[in-house]
Amino acid sequence: MVVDASPRLDQVFHALAHPARRAIIRQLSDGERNLSELAAPLKMTFPAATKHVRVLEQAKLVRRRVAGREHFCRLNAGPLKEATSWTEELHRHWEARFRALDSLLEEMKSEEQSRGRRL
Amino acid sequence: MNAISPAQAKGLQISTPTDTLIVLTRTFSAPRRLLWEAMFTPDKMRRWMLPPPSWTMTTCECDARVGGALDVAWKSADADPAMTLRGVFTEVVPHERAIHTEVMALGTGQLVGSLVERHEFSEAGNITTLRITQTYASKEARDGALASGMDEGMEACYKQLEAVLG
Repeated sequence: MVVDASPRLDQVFHALAHPARRAIIRQLSDGERNLSELAAPLKMTFPAATKHVRVLEQAKLVRRRVAGREHFCRLNAGPLKEATSWTEELHRHWEARFRALDSLLEEMKSEEQSRGRRL
Repeated sequence: MNAISPAQAKGLQISTPTDTLIVLTRTFSAPRRLLWEAMFTPDKMRRWMLPPPSWTMTTCECDARVGGALDVAWKSADADPAMTLRGVFTEVVPHERAIHTEVMALGTGQLVGSLVERHEFSEAGNITTLRITQTYASKEARDGALASGMDEGMEACYKQLEAVLG
């Protein structure tokens, strides 16, 4: 059975595509934060900031716990690791080709040099 | 074995400056006319456009002129073609800039991706910086391309999932 993981990954990439959400993730990588702490550095209203947190929750990148009137958020690293490894695959794919291109270019330069010497 | 100059190794950078773009930047120790030739001459393209393991490139045509066609195909043990890449050059400034469309499809005809690819070459003292800008039709298409990792990356991951799920 082949599982198409890409819709979930699309959600993760969508979540990561906004700088405010990336800022939230960076904060959370230092540990749990409440919503006010997360919203404070972002240049937007509190409702706008919490909307971004919800997008991250939908992508399963962030988990929320409620303690009384406070909402605490924690980073869920699994989906992030998975998303990173997909871009790493893309990076590996292109870098392998570019390394082959490096070798080819060295060959082409040598050929030019030896042609020049023969003239 | 030729030494690679220390100035060369500015590694591959991948960035996503907008919702619909993937940008690749990489420097090479060669004048840009050689990089251009390597990028757009079929017998040179066959040398670096590495297919997934056990795949073979069957067709490779590239006419780097405005209106010229790009036509690449690979076969695998199971399918011939396994994947095709077709496009048309829309803008060409030799050794400097080339823009072409690109449509990738499986052998079955199923569309894998459709994008516009722009290659820019800038040189300083025999070091050439190549910037490839891929523009996708939508954010979803761009995100899908990022997530897919293309070719063997995708295949390897699906195989792993298959093994785990049974």
